[in-house]
Amino acid sequence: MRAAIALTFLLLAAWGVLRAQRPFKQYQAQEYEDFPLPPDWNTKTEWTRARLHYPSVYANRRYGLDLNWTIDYPRSDRHLLEGVRRLTRIDTRSVEQIVDLDGTDDVYNWPMMYAVEVGHWALPDDQAAQLRDFLLRGGFLMVDDFHGDEPYHRVDSEWQVFNASMHKVFPDRTIDDLENSNPIFHTIYDLDERFQVAGWQWYRSGRTYEAGETGKTPHWRAIYDDKGRVMVAICHNMDLGDAWEWSDDPRYPEKWASLAYRIAMNYFIYDLTH
Amino acid sequence: MFEFFFKYPASVFSKGSIVLAGGWPVWLLIVAILAAGAALAYFVRRNAESSVRVKGGRSAVVWVLQTLLAAVLLLLLWHPALSVATLRPQQNIVAVVVDDSSSMAVDDAGSGSRKNAAVNVLNSGLVKQLQERFQVRLYKLSDHLDRLEAYDKGGLDKLTAAGTATHIGDSLKQVLADAASLPIGAVVLLSDGADNSGGIDLETISEVRRQRIPVHTIGFGREKMAHDVELTGVETPARALPDSRLSATVTFHQHGYAGGKAKIFIRDGGKVLAAHDITFKADGVEQTENILYNAGPVGVKAIEVAIDPLPGEENSRNNKMVQMVNVDKRTPRILYMEGEPRWEFKFLRRAVEDDRSIHLVTILRTTQNKIYVQDEHGDAPKNIKDGFPTRVEDLFEFDGLILGSVDAPYFTANQQEMMKQFVDRRGGGLLFLGGREALADGGYARSVLNEVLPVKLPDRKNTFVRDPATAELTAQGRDSLITRIEEDPQKNVERWKKLPYMMNFQDAGQPKPGAVVLVDALPTSVGKFPLLTIQNYGRGRTAVFATAGSWRWQMLQPVADKSHEMFYSQLLRWLVNDTPRRLMVSTPKQMLNDETLVKLRADVRDKAFLAAADATVEAHVLGDGVAETVEMRPDALDAGVYTAEWTIPKSGSYVVEVTAKRGAEDLGRDVLTFRRDDGVAENFHVEQNRELLEKLSSETGGKYYKPEDAKKLGKDINYSEAGITVRETRDLWDMPAIFLFLLMLRSGEWLLRRKWGVI
Repeated sequence: MRAAIALTFLLLAAWGVLRAQRPFKQYQAQEYEDFPLPPDWNTKTEWTRARLHYPSVYANRRYGLDLNWTIDYPRSDRHLLEGVRRLTRIDTRSVEQIVDLDGTDDVYNWPMMYAVEVGHWALPDDQAAQLRDFLLRGGFLMVDDFHGDEPYHRVDSEWQVFNASMHKVFPDRTIDDLENSNPIFHTIYDLDERFQVAGWQWYRSGRTYEAGETGKTPHWRAIYDDKGRVMVAICHNMDLGDAWEWSDDPRYPEKWASLAYRIAMNYFIYDLTH
Repeated sequence: MFEFFFKYPASVFSKGSIVLAGGWPVWLLIVAILAAGAALAYFVRRNAESSVRVKGGRSAVVWVLQTLLAAVLLLLLWHPALSVATLRPQQNIVAVVVDDSSSMAVDDAGSGSRKNAAVNVLNSGLVKQLQERFQVRLYKLSDHLDRLEAYDKGGLDKLTAAGTATHIGDSLKQVLADAASLPIGAVVLLSDGADNSGGIDLETISEVRRQRIPVHTIGFGREKMAHDVELTGVETPARALPDSRLSATVTFHQHGYAGGKAKIFIRDGGKVLAAHDITFKADGVEQTENILYNAGPVGVKAIEVAIDPLPGEENSRNNKMVQMVNVDKRTPRILYMEGEPRWEFKFLRRAVEDDRSIHLVTILRTTQNKIYVQDEHGDAPKNIKDGFPTRVEDLFEFDGLILGSVDAPYFTANQQEMMKQFVDRRGGGLLFLGGREALADGGYARSVLNEVLPVKLPDRKNTFVRDPATAELTAQGRDSLITRIEEDPQKNVERWKKLPYMMNFQDAGQPKPGAVVLVDALPTSVGKFPLLTIQNYGRGRTAVFATAGSWRWQMLQPVADKSHEMFYSQLLRWLVNDTPRRLMVSTPKQMLNDETLVKLRADVRDKAFLAAADATVEAHVLGDGVAETVEMRPDALDAGVYTAEWTIPKSGSYVVEVTAKRGAEDLGRDVLTFRRDDGVAENFHVEQNRELLEKLSSETGGKYYKPEDAKKLGKDINYSEAGITVRETRDLWDMPAIFLFLLMLRSGEWLLRRKWGVI
């Protein structure tokens, strides 16, 4: 009898864990170690932007340390969230939330998801299926920091790599260019005039683009749901993540940082209104 | 038996008064009795002194018996008699009224119809008995009264039992009208009492009593059917939005099928909208069932509620009722003002986006100085782009209003007053959502909107808590359509229990008197708080949904799950479904079964929804071959209300379009449908309503008879105060009962004395 009761509690606890919202946790990152936490990191808020912890094409090459998803993390995230607080009325947390497509319900608690360098992601079928479910329930995915649509320097085409996983998510949906008239460019700021936002590599290379000639033109693309709403916002040939990350560095041009913030604010408000 | 002992029928005693016809004064009788009593006391006492066996109590008993004997004998000397008014022979008329409605065609016992039974009673001597002393006038009764030919000329042959209704009260009024010029001494009503005009009104009863005409009733038909199911009522909203989920409250009873099972069907033009299993309770017990059905697309629906005939059922025509439902072609507009971008805003919008019957216009404060307006349908007032309306006319364009996490001070005092009037005067619905700047945390306890809230807000801040909470239906919530996610009530309760927890909740305080809590929030921390509270306020209604975290019901459930959509769609439909337009026309009854008069009522308001008392209001009635305009007149007591009555010429469906104008200004139009069906009412309440017949006769000085006792009527009917009467004095001294009493007194004394051994 006692064993049965204990087992019941155990099962209930396990169910609770599966169903409940996971607490904040800071993960090991590729670029930053021991990044300081803001003092109010533990405050309960309405919203935060989630960052997707995905498996990359390098997963089997780096002795188990697959940290591609952590590019710019967490400095980029923290700067961005400060911007959200300053520029909108969104009640946001000061720290991001890392989410996994691990088959549990946790990801559904964080409907605004961001994934970086998706030119290197490699979603297995089960994760692609859960991402599809997440999006169809009303979630939103913003992807950024991937460049070119041809193989470059012995690296596979990032666009094609991205598309390979995205096709698993939505085999029957197309990726379309976002028109200037789309509400996503007008929720807070009217962003008819957009330009390529370069990554920090510009400081060293002087180039605003990456991955060769096919990385020169920024593309604002999307996958729509059945109601014509943007479900997946695809920022190709730009590095908004770097712009948020380096927005506090005077060496990084203000115009790029500003546009990156404005894009993010518009996208977040779009998600919360559509 | 009574007549054997007392010489006359009991009814004579009840109508007459006792008098002493001897002519000697009554005081002398009293003195004589007292004197006799005293003398007897003296003799009994004297005898007791000489007898050892009749002493004390025994002598007192003897004295009582002897005094009683003396008193009765003395009373007889004073000549007791009964003074009673009787109808003068051959000078009075007796109105014989035979129910000729179709319920009289029912063959209760398989031996002929009720009408035939009534004719048999009349033919088997009753009419002849009456004709010996009175003139007899024959009438037939249905929804009106008709005079028949004389009995000898075959008047009863004209009875067909085909009348479409039974209006006993109206028919009695016509008899009374005849009595004003004719010496009608009594009315004999042969009926099953199955009146379907709502009973006999007090005015008619009073008039009959005033004219002192006794109404004698003879009841026909079984008082209980052996095998029958009868619908006794159907209630369902008269107006609905397209594809609304509606509730039909069906009441019924049965005889002979207790414990049996059946189905209630709701049909629209033969198409089954809902089927509901029922189990019959005990015979005669009134049962009520709530059945949900979908109103369907725009149009006028004749919703039929029916229990299909059961094996052996005697009357299957009372298993069906029809109600009119107008599914309006309108799309109420709801303005949702949100103070901060948040998940509840997004998912509420998505929840109702497929509801074509609701237009949601939203204003969102995105930044400190920017708003984002979404009006996909483009039918909101143009200046909504500038923010929350500042003019009454603009706000009152909407039917409903939602306030999200937006603090009260964001609105000007004028805007807050407008919102209050939006509910109170305009009759709109106002929904408050929970949030960090909502309800008590948003300062609403100190705003004029506090009055319209269905809850008494806590007098503190930090009532919005970001802790998980589950939702649990209250007893009222289990019956509410707002919270009905599953058709089956029990499954619905379980469904709510299984909903994912909400991300937060708000302590909204306690419900105000008259408010109803439909759902409670059960936080994982502690306590229980009203989650969804509703109430009516003024002409409108308000609700509090004290959370901003129901969006998890969407994100944490499979894509195909529609719980969240259904909940918000039903909540918002409730919010606006009864919001009146500037002109609203109504009628107490849209289905007029065997009734001919329709009453119309129009409530006319101007743009600010103030009563338009100086309007010109017309009702244009259209039906099969009918096109008529009826002027509606202002109600003397209710400003802005106009009324009219119109006689429906024949059965069928009618559409009435009411228009209102004030000078050149068009104040609006509204459309209403109604339907007259004949021959329906008689299908219901076909059992003999003995209670009604007994009450009618007892209230008017008449008597109720069973058909087999009808012969007694011939004697009873002579005694009446109506018509041409003569007062008769009838001796009572020779009543057998008196002699028996005297005999009992003497023999009683003798038996006592024998027992005591005196003799």
